[in-house]
Amino acid sequence: MTNVSISLQTTLAAGEPAAAAPAKMVAKNLNFYYGDFRALIDINLTVPEHRVTALIGPSGCGKSTLLRIFNKIYAVYPNQRAEGEIILDGANLLDPKYPLNRLRSKVGMVFQKPVPFPMSIYDNVAYGISHYEKLGRADMEVRVEQALRQGALWDEVKDKLKQSALGLSGGQQQRLCIARAVALKPEVILFDEPTSALDPIATGKIEQLIAELKQEFTILIVTHNMQQAARCSDFTAFMYLGELVEHGVTQQIFTKPSKQQTEDYITGRFG
Amino acid sequence: MDHAVSERLFLRRRITNWLALVLSGGAAIIGLFFLSWILFTTLSKGIDGLSLAMFTEMTPPPGAPIGEGGLLNAIFGSIVMCTLAVMMAAPVGIAAGTFLAEYANFRKIGSVIRFVNDILLSAPSIVLGLFVYMVLIGAPRQVATVIQNSDAGQNNWLAGLANWLIDISGFSGFAGAVALGFIVLPVVVRTTDEMLRLVPTQMREAALSLGIPQWKVTTQVLYRAAMSGILTGVMLGLARISGETAPLLFTAFNNSFWNADLGEPMANLPVTVYQFAMSPFENWQLLAWAGAFLITCFVLLVSVLARSLLLRKKMSHD
Amino acid sequence: MAAAATQLDHLARGDARADRLFRWSVAAAGFFVLISLVGAALTMAWGGREAFATFGWAFVASDNWDPGNLIFGGLAPIVGTLITAGIALLLAVPISFGIALFLTEVAPGWLRGPVGTAIELLAGIPSIIYGMWGLFVLVPFLGEYIYPFLSETASQLPIIGSWFNGPPIGIGMLTAGMVLSIMVIPFIASVMREVFLTVPSRLKESAYALGSTTFEVVWDIVLPYTRSAVIGGIFLGLGRALGETMAVTFVLGNANRLANLLEPSSSIAATIANEFGEAFADLHRSSLLALGFVLFAVTFVVLSIAKLMLMGLQRREGT
Repeated sequence: MTNVSISLQTTLAAGEPAAAAPAKMVAKNLNFYYGDFRALIDINLTVPEHRVTALIGPSGCGKSTLLRIFNKIYAVYPNQRAEGEIILDGANLLDPKYPLNRLRSKVGMVFQKPVPFPMSIYDNVAYGISHYEKLGRADMEVRVEQALRQGALWDEVKDKLKQSALGLSGGQQQRLCIARAVALKPEVILFDEPTSALDPIATGKIEQLIAELKQEFTILIVTHNMQQAARCSDFTAFMYLGELVEHGVTQQIFTKPSKQQTEDYITGRFG
Repeated sequence: MDHAVSERLFLRRRITNWLALVLSGGAAIIGLFFLSWILFTTLSKGIDGLSLAMFTEMTPPPGAPIGEGGLLNAIFGSIVMCTLAVMMAAPVGIAAGTFLAEYANFRKIGSVIRFVNDILLSAPSIVLGLFVYMVLIGAPRQVATVIQNSDAGQNNWLAGLANWLIDISGFSGFAGAVALGFIVLPVVVRTTDEMLRLVPTQMREAALSLGIPQWKVTTQVLYRAAMSGILTGVMLGLARISGETAPLLFTAFNNSFWNADLGEPMANLPVTVYQFAMSPFENWQLLAWAGAFLITCFVLLVSVLARSLLLRKKMSHD
Repeated sequence: MAAAATQLDHLARGDARADRLFRWSVAAAGFFVLISLVGAALTMAWGGREAFATFGWAFVASDNWDPGNLIFGGLAPIVGTLITAGIALLLAVPISFGIALFLTEVAPGWLRGPVGTAIELLAGIPSIIYGMWGLFVLVPFLGEYIYPFLSETASQLPIIGSWFNGPPIGIGMLTAGMVLSIMVIPFIASVMREVFLTVPSRLKESAYALGSTTFEVVWDIVLPYTRSAVIGGIFLGLGRALGETMAVTFVLGNANRLANLLEPSSSIAATIANEFGEAFADLHRSSLLALGFVLFAVTFVVLSIAKLMLMGLQRREGT
């Protein structure tokens, strides 16, 4: 194995060593099917608590597919199904008896394209909360402010909460979507290529936000941008053609990968 | 190739092209010409009959002096029936469109219903009028006749039922509204279906990811996102039924007097215009043009409004 | 999550119930659309059964329509419907094609919007307006300037001359066909225009790069690419023309007999519209309903063909 040296561009503090982080979610023997096509093959993945885990790999490797199993959003589509287990706090998420709304209140998701609801900024954040809790006006306002602060958006919108969310810029809309997700106080947040539709400045803000969020949440992020994974994540999992090839501490993966495939991808021998 | 030959060929192609372009421009001019001719005719003849009396007086008897009488009962009847038609058809249409877009989108039943809906959309309106006639007027009458002619018809309760059936089965404003409703229905179904499908999938998924149940996602998020498009569909349906005559001929028919009872024949603009125009009486013909002018104005107004609403929504999406 | 687990489960059950209710309601509405069409077809057939039973095939083969003697043969209105629709399409298709060509290739950008909107406004004008304009404007015009000339010269032509042998007063199937064609032009034109716009520009650009003229691009590239959809659009217009009532009732003349192009005649829709109010005999009413069923059946077939041809294009576009 040749020694590859890549200089990591990180402005963020390096994560604590792997051994210190307990597992939040564990995927065991996960298989996923689109109809008859087996898209994911025997995935075993541990997602540590309060850390950022990145899923990287070339197009079509199945990273988004894997991400979308964690909050069962695939269940909307009739010919998609998953087999295996995902253990969260001792219970199997994929068990049909596990209530969907409990799952989704624990595991939130932020999508690739910012999709604010056609409502005011305030209502966007309050919408999810109001489904689960009956809060008075004052209490709700506190929760909304809390969520917007966590999404690093409060200062920019505090004077225009009643305006339509569609008037915000792309980066702001994405932070609104993050605020919307954290408003439900989940334990895990899934990010599906959250910055691929944003400009570099907005991207930087979101990456910074993710670094702050990991103190309170467990983060699983899919990105096709290797440098982003190197910048933001503590752990990285490399996927190829539906299989989990390698998984470990980010610094390790990017400097001393143990599989040839991983090294080939990271050094750009294939994309 | 010989230079002269190729020059000739090229010239011929150029001429063909030029001819085609000129003809296509001519076709457009023909279309615009007829549009202007028709609108101009309606305007000029209609304006002559226009007066305040049109909105304040009832339809006059035939042969009455010109200037006497108006179209009030017809205008009122049309407003009532069109409003009722939309009120009945819009919720059903929106619900059916929701079913197509959210629950049956890629399934066989969805394609079947969409196909049937499109046929209904372009079906002759006279057929729909006959259908409503048969269901609301023809069938009750037949059932009543059968009851009365049979021995069992001596029974008090059955005889009462037969009488009630005969009572309700006659030309009525309600039947007219139902017939118009069937014309609005497919328009609303189609627009709702298309507008809901235009909403990005990720918005659906984002709402579902929060744990919101499907029905709330549809009614509170998706409807809001597609609202202006859905409203456009309703308005286009309204524009379409305001000028429909044939279905009313067998359902609401017409009434020369004031009638606000939906259970009785109800005056309406299109049938009034039809009757008056085909008559030999000058006062009636004048009123017919005025009525035609009113109908055209209303239809154009609503169509333009609906289209501008759709345009605004399209622009905000980009 | 702040809410306790049991609270969440309770909420989940309520949500599931509401979801089921909502799903059933919208499904019911969807099925209502389905049974509406089926219902329309069935009621027509049911209402017409007496006529079909009494006359059998003579109903569509005989042109003897005699309400007084309760004999009803519907050939005349059926033929009238087909001929007026045929004339309408003959006139409308080339003009619609020209308009679609104009709107997609010829007109400068700033002109396309207004002209396109104007053509669509033409589609929105109710048919009764067309009928009135036809009767009070077009008929006198034709009767005074065009038909006398037509009746004299065209009737000299071999074979088709007898078609023009009528009294040139301005009403008849030819006039009705003209009015119908103006009605149908915007439909066919807008379908053609939409269909022309789906041709990928790189196909057209490569043809232009080879030196094709605009017309050649349309004739050799756009039309073949969109052929079935264009036919579908034409069938859509045909379906419309077959079922039109008010536009033709005014100008056909309401004479229930087989006639040539310049004489008063009838169509199915016009016959039903004119006679239904006074049809007191059961057999009379049943015959009118039977005619309605024939009309419905024919339009159903035409519209289905149209839909199938248009669906082919949709599939290619991935919509």
